[in-house]
Amino acid sequence: MNALLVEDLNVHYGTIHAVQGVSFSVNEGEIVSIVGSNGAGKSTIMWTLAGVVPPSGGRVLIKGNPLPSKPHEIVARGLALVPERRRLFSALTVRENLIMGAYRRRDEESVKAEMERCFQLFPILRERLGQRSGTLSGGEQQMLAISRAIMSDPKILLLDEPTLGLAPLIVEAVMNTIIRIRDEGVTVLMVEQNATQALEISDRGYILEAGLFVKTGPGPELAMDPEIRRAYLGG
Amino acid sequence: MFLQTLITGLSIGGIYALMAVGYSLVFSVLNFSNFAHGAVIMLGAYVGLALATKLNFGFGLVLAGSVAGAGIIAVLNEKLAYSSLRRRKAPSLYLMISAMGCAVFLENLVYATIGSRFYAFPEFFGRQVVTIFGSSVSLLDVGAFIFALIAILGLHLFINRTRTGTAIRAGVCDMTMCSLMGVDLNRLIAIVFLLAGAFAGVAGVFLGIKYLVYPTMGWVTNKAYIAAVIGGLGSLPGALAGGLILGVVETFVSTYISSVLRDVFSFTLLIAFLVWRPNGLMGIDSEEKV
Ligand SMILES: Nc1ncnc2c1ncn2[C@@H]1O[C@H](COP(=O)(O)OP(=O)(O)O)[C@@H](O)[C@H]1O
Ligand SMILES: [Mg+2]
Repeated sequence: MNALLVEDLNVHYGTIHAVQGVSFSVNEGEIVSIVGSNGAGKSTIMWTLAGVVPPSGGRVLIKGNPLPSKPHEIVARGLALVPERRRLFSALTVRENLIMGAYRRRDEESVKAEMERCFQLFPILRERLGQRSGTLSGGEQQMLAISRAIMSDPKILLLDEPTLGLAPLIVEAVMNTIIRIRDEGVTVLMVEQNATQALEISDRGYILEAGLFVKTGPGPELAMDPEIRRAYLGG
Repeated sequence: MFLQTLITGLSIGGIYALMAVGYSLVFSVLNFSNFAHGAVIMLGAYVGLALATKLNFGFGLVLAGSVAGAGIIAVLNEKLAYSSLRRRKAPSLYLMISAMGCAVFLENLVYATIGSRFYAFPEFFGRQVVTIFGSSVSLLDVGAFIFALIAILGLHLFINRTRTGTAIRAGVCDMTMCSLMGVDLNRLIAIVFLLAGAFAGVAGVFLGIKYLVYPTMGWVTNKAYIAAVIGGLGSLPGALAGGLILGVVETFVSTYISSVLRDVFSFTLLIAFLVWRPNGLMGIDSEEKV
């Protein structure tokens, strides 16, 4: 069954038609990427899936069931979003950010175990637990943002430009972590602007242009496509 | 004389602080100035008054009843007047105007039903005094001050130590992300108004006992806005410090200079802070809120 099925999704901001009838699916255990230039509508798709921006048409099924309308109900269905520019709770400590990620979960033991899982992925976070998240470096903030999402034990993880503004070495580390998260059983939908690496680790990719998909195929294949390389991958 | 003035100032300041924390909490979460807060304080005082005079409740039960009553009124106020604006993401100016409307509506509702008479609470504490360092000060004043301190400390611990408190602080940082953590925002905001209302209830009872109960008594909340600005809008320790400073300064001005100048002085202080230190004493930056 599809973990996520999106059919003819439309999103308007007032008169701006930001997403114009987009359809795609993500199968369980896949990494799927949506690639497109600035303003193509990538983040809008993510915010709509998370329940923050309401769609103006189309439907979204999560494991065969219609997407609930409120964000907190969507989280309860096993979907977590790492938004563009991370959006950490900057006045809260690293520990408090992680605890917020597990807000829905009442079992303290499993929350602790989940925190250990995050430290396995990003050992540096253990040392930063008491630090205010606003004072972390960019890379550490992204690690925390991913960990905060993981803390809810999601079945589907949405990542909006997870490597934006990070140094190449850290980009690689983040990409490897995404593979690892997938291997642990989480389905991943990712959005990227600079997308060679994203497509290379993706089972499938979609190219988004001005609110419409213009091309789709296996990730590595798209990453090699000369036309796409010219348009989106910096040659 | 000095000590008596100080204690009187601290007790008034404690009441200002009780009013300011509720106002400040709502401000930091929803980013608008809830001008209906004074009306909730006034209604809390009437609830307490009814329990004291009609049912002959003792002080403890009057306080508990007023806390519950004002808490529920504050939650209803949010549900009826603010929640639909909030859902439509209306600018905070709209919320502020709606709050002003609520204040006028509630005051006039009291005028129309209960009337404009001034009511006094029964004398719970009589004219009892306690002796501190050789000066006798009123038990009510000392009690109000200590109660305010304990209540605000309790709120501070709740906000900083509990899961719901952490969610409130997270919401202050980023409401949208807070909901993406699985927090039901309507519920969280209801809790915030319940807390603000509960503190309004306490303030209403103390105000009513110290002075009188009447439809426009909530206007004294102006002082709470000043206290919140002095302390730093959105900061709970700031609201406490701001309230106490304002209460003490006012009492000294009216005792040693002139009671006519008291409010002139308070509003001058407000303007001075807005001009030279808009973040107040403790509002270091917006991220330090709550
Ligand atoms: N909150 C908003 N209000 C109005 N227009 C918006 C809003 N957010 C995005 N847009 C517009 O929608 C389009 C898609 O934006 P976005 O989804 O952020 O693109 P991307 O993430 O691909 O860069 C852009 O034209 C953008 O200007
Ligand atoms: Mg974007």
